[in-house]
Amino acid sequence: MFTKILFATSATKESDHAARVAFNIAGSYDAHLDIFHVPGVPSRGYSQVVVDVKTKERVDVDDDYLEWVKDEIRTYYAKYLENGLRYDITVAIGFPAREILRQAKDTEPDLILLGGSTGDEEEAVYKKSMAGTTLQKIARSAKCPVLVVNRPAASFWGGLSNITFGTDFSKASDKAFEFAMKVAKNLDCELNVFHALDITSGATGEMLSQDEIEQKIREALRMIRGRYESRLKELKHYSMDVWEGIPFIEIVKYARDIHSDLIVMAHHSKKTEKADAILGSNVEQVIVRAGCPVISVNR
Amino acid sequence: MHEFLTGIFFWFAITVCLVGMLVRFVLYFRGLSWQLDRVAYKAHPKAGMKGAFRSIYKWLIPYGTYGWRTQPFMAAAFFGFHIGAVVVPLFLSAHNIFLENKVGFSLFTLNAGVADFLTWLAVVCAFFLILRRIVLPEVRILTTLYDYFILFIALAPFLTGLTARYHVGDYSFWLNLHIFCGELLLIAIPFTKMSHVFLFFASRAQLGMDFGIKRGGMKGTKMAW
Amino acid sequence: MPEGKYCNKTPVNTPEEVNFLLSDTSGNQYYKEMKNLEVDSDLLWATIQKTLKSRLRTWLEICAHCGMCADSCFLYLVNDRDPKQVPAYKIQSTLGEIIKRKGKVDNAFMRHAMEVAWAQCTCCNRCGTYCPHGIDTGIMFGYLRGLLYQQGFVPWEMKIGAGMHRAYRAQMDVTNEDFVETFEWMVEENEEEYIGLTVPVDVENADIMYTVNAREVKHYPEDLAEAAILFHAAGENWTVPSEGWEQTSLAMFAGDWAACKMQVESVYAAMEKLKPKRMIGTECGHAHRATVIEGPYWAGRENGLPPVESIHYVEWLAEALREGKLKIDPSKRIRELVTMQDSCNYVRNQGLKNATREIMSHIVEPGYFVEMSPNKEHNFCCGGGGGFNGIGLFRKQRNKGLEKKRDQILATGAKLVLAPCHNCWDAIRDLEEEFKIGIRWSFLKPIIIKMLVLPDHMKPEE
Ligand code: HEM
Ligand code: HEM
Ligand code: SF4
Ligand code: SF4
Repeated sequence: MFTKILFATSATKESDHAARVAFNIAGSYDAHLDIFHVPGVPSRGYSQVVVDVKTKERVDVDDDYLEWVKDEIRTYYAKYLENGLRYDITVAIGFPAREILRQAKDTEPDLILLGGSTGDEEEAVYKKSMAGTTLQKIARSAKCPVLVVNRPAASFWGGLSNITFGTDFSKASDKAFEFAMKVAKNLDCELNVFHALDITSGATGEMLSQDEIEQKIREALRMIRGRYESRLKELKHYSMDVWEGIPFIEIVKYARDIHSDLIVMAHHSKKTEKADAILGSNVEQVIVRAGCPVISVNR
Repeated sequence: MHEFLTGIFFWFAITVCLVGMLVRFVLYFRGLSWQLDRVAYKAHPKAGMKGAFRSIYKWLIPYGTYGWRTQPFMAAAFFGFHIGAVVVPLFLSAHNIFLENKVGFSLFTLNAGVADFLTWLAVVCAFFLILRRIVLPEVRILTTLYDYFILFIALAPFLTGLTARYHVGDYSFWLNLHIFCGELLLIAIPFTKMSHVFLFFASRAQLGMDFGIKRGGMKGTKMAW
Repeated sequence: MPEGKYCNKTPVNTPEEVNFLLSDTSGNQYYKEMKNLEVDSDLLWATIQKTLKSRLRTWLEICAHCGMCADSCFLYLVNDRDPKQVPAYKIQSTLGEIIKRKGKVDNAFMRHAMEVAWAQCTCCNRCGTYCPHGIDTGIMFGYLRGLLYQQGFVPWEMKIGAGMHRAYRAQMDVTNEDFVETFEWMVEENEEEYIGLTVPVDVENADIMYTVNAREVKHYPEDLAEAAILFHAAGENWTVPSEGWEQTSLAMFAGDWAACKMQVESVYAAMEKLKPKRMIGTECGHAHRATVIEGPYWAGRENGLPPVESIHYVEWLAEALREGKLKIDPSKRIRELVTMQDSCNYVRNQGLKNATREIMSHIVEPGYFVEMSPNKEHNFCCGGGGGFNGIGLFRKQRNKGLEKKRDQILATGAKLVLAPCHNCWDAIRDLEEEFKIGIRWSFLKPIIIKMLVLPDHMKPEE
């Protein structure tokens, strides 16, 4: 399933839930884990000074500093690193999203795992140059699935039993579906295909009547069947559902309702990102709100 | 004494002043280096000339530049003093009568009232320039004894000229002193900061060429002085 | 102990030497050694005699000590009108003094001169336009920096910066491979959203050769993508050189004239090799000044011009908008109060004041653009020019220097500041960090891309 995982971490407790998942997945697939950390954001013009993301203090970057940071990480994750895990620790200076993507370009992992960087406190430092958040950037540009763990994950990777796949029938969604299928098969769990009918006035232009809504729900269900059912039959358990509302809210509600322990969605580079740059796209909203880990798939 | 001052010494002073100015003027422009100054003077003479004239012209009119406009008090004192300092020695009728006798030609002459007025104006403005040096901290820190010395040799002909003009005290003493001071000033011009009388034009022309050639002039932006 | 391990008179030339100097955290040791660095008075005086020609000599001589330049200097204004910050005083008490003493000055004097040259003047050239004699103190400080650099009295970061140019022909440790690779990567990242996006490397006879700031490659590669998107949308036939792509010159701020020459010659060589019709540089002020305005003189070009016509990014943008090569969706124009920073390096050094305003007229809803006061060629320095932004030793002075720009921005009432210059952008960012006045700041590229009407061939299919 996975052979090379890039785990981007803040190496603080904000990333602890993600760390648990990361070491768990790497362990279960005997994958190589690249523990990646960006300790500092460039500051002071062209000089070598960075703002330390933890202390917010200015530090000079030199080899000693970078070695020290690596040691800190090694100590922080010591208990996970004992059991013969194959891993690297890499640190780089720069803007986190950019450096994570750079690392991904160089090492070509088949999963990027992020944690803890959606909260606000780090954004203060990170936002300095980036329009949008670290997460937005990575989800948009990564070539492999991006798994984000924001809250404590209820189950370990191996124990996943119920996956929600949210679709909007785009090409990217087809890619995400393939990935969801792969995981469901691999872990032998239930896959629930879900579509949220966007009835916000921004999307439809006017208030829909109840009849129209139900009509559209039927259409969407037909589309799900047409598009995915033949493949879904390869699984033991699956379901298909369409709810109406504000898409990201509905997906989160749905996943909670059916006790999903993973959500898979496509990330769109489509204009949504610009239209509501503050809210971010659906998937970003889901990530922030969902109780379980979310995987965003792009291509 | 009078003989000496209006004779040999007069010629000496005039020659030193004129030759000195000429030499320094030539040396100035010969000392410009396109590469060290980073201005391609020779390659773009037209743009350079345009910039040079514009920069001189703008600064010679009161309130013609932002510099003058932001400092109205200074501008008033400067022009008040300098109009007198330049016009009176050149066009005073007494000076021109002297010149007529000496070399046989004279320039346009000022009417006496105007000359008196300009002279008094210059003296009063010079007083304010001195006051400024004492009162304003940003000028005080720059001021050296040398600056007062320059003010002194620039003012001396005015004060002595006025004393002679109003026949205060011993006329011939004051007249002789006046002529001596005037000649001293002439001699000082090429060798002291008084060289600004002509080097002002050189320096302004240089910066004008800089702006005219390199710093926007050739792209059609005139510097808003 | 005259010459130190870190602090000495020898320029830094190789990556190894740069790294060695970098290994001295914050330059602590470097500055300690500087206290013992010997002044080579003979060399100093000989250099002065060779290079101090009539322009500077006359300036120093005829300065009327009138103090009219005082109010023109933002550092004088923000430091409570400290008379020691009067431009004429600053230069007379340093360069003037060295000359008066025929180069026989001591170590303490040189260190003081270093502080004045880098922490009390950003070489913004504003005072030069307010002096009745046309005395440009900024230029003289540039000259003084050269003398100080030669003697080894130069801030640590500046020595490194100049060394980077010597070692990499770039202001940061970015190699030619890094540059091309990063550009390609950025294009790849965006090619799905912008169909047909490419980065043409080393194409001969293109209409445009584009040059950048190494910082973009290292930390802000989005900027490269944005440049590609805009050139592509405008239908330009453009290219980037795989060598000679760095337009900036920290060596200019350091006073390392030899390195300035090396740097700019690498760009000119690219021009000569690729023979583009024009060279366009990124949104950077000092880069334009270094490569387009001063560069020809370092390279010994008697006509004072680069080998091919070279313009600033804002000039190209203005042209592209004017000619309709780039189309703006009027409904997406900026509809909030917005102001713009004029970079000293191109507004007072090449008069580029109209291009930026023309751009504003295209991208800002009428009535929403507010000028700073004063503006155009009378604008104040951002507060971080001339290398000031990056010098740790003088951070406090720099932060103080930001106050003028802060007050200018506050007076406009705008919350968005457009800064088409890396240095200004940095200073304004730091200003927000320092004073928290609640502003946002941006280069022009990302703002324009947001409101661009993409040509059909670039739109992804749905
Ligand atoms: C070089 C030799 C000079 C000679 C022979 C000379 C001669 C004279 C004479 C004969 C008078 C008339 C005094 C009277 O009214 O009876 C006079 C007045 C005056 N001179 Fe000179 N002068 C000389 C240089 C200068 C210079 C260099 C200046 C100024 C920079 C100057 C400024 C004046 C002034 C201000 C007056 C009085 C004007 C008035 O209020 O009427 N003189 N000078
Ligand atoms: C066309 C000729 C002249 C020009 C363009 C000129 C220009 C200037 C300028 C630009 C200044 C500096 C600004 C200032 O301090 O006011 C200055 C200062 C001065 N000039 Fe002249 N000047 C000229 C002739 C003269 C003459 C003929 C005298 C003396 C009789 C003179 C005496 C002075 C003095 C004493 C100062 C220093 C003023 C101070 O202490 O503030 N200048 N001049
Ligand atoms: S304004 Fe010019 S002449 Fe006056 S003090 Fe300043 S540099 Fe000197
Ligand atoms: S160049 Fe700028 S910073 Fe330097 S003295 Fe002049 S006004 Fe001040």
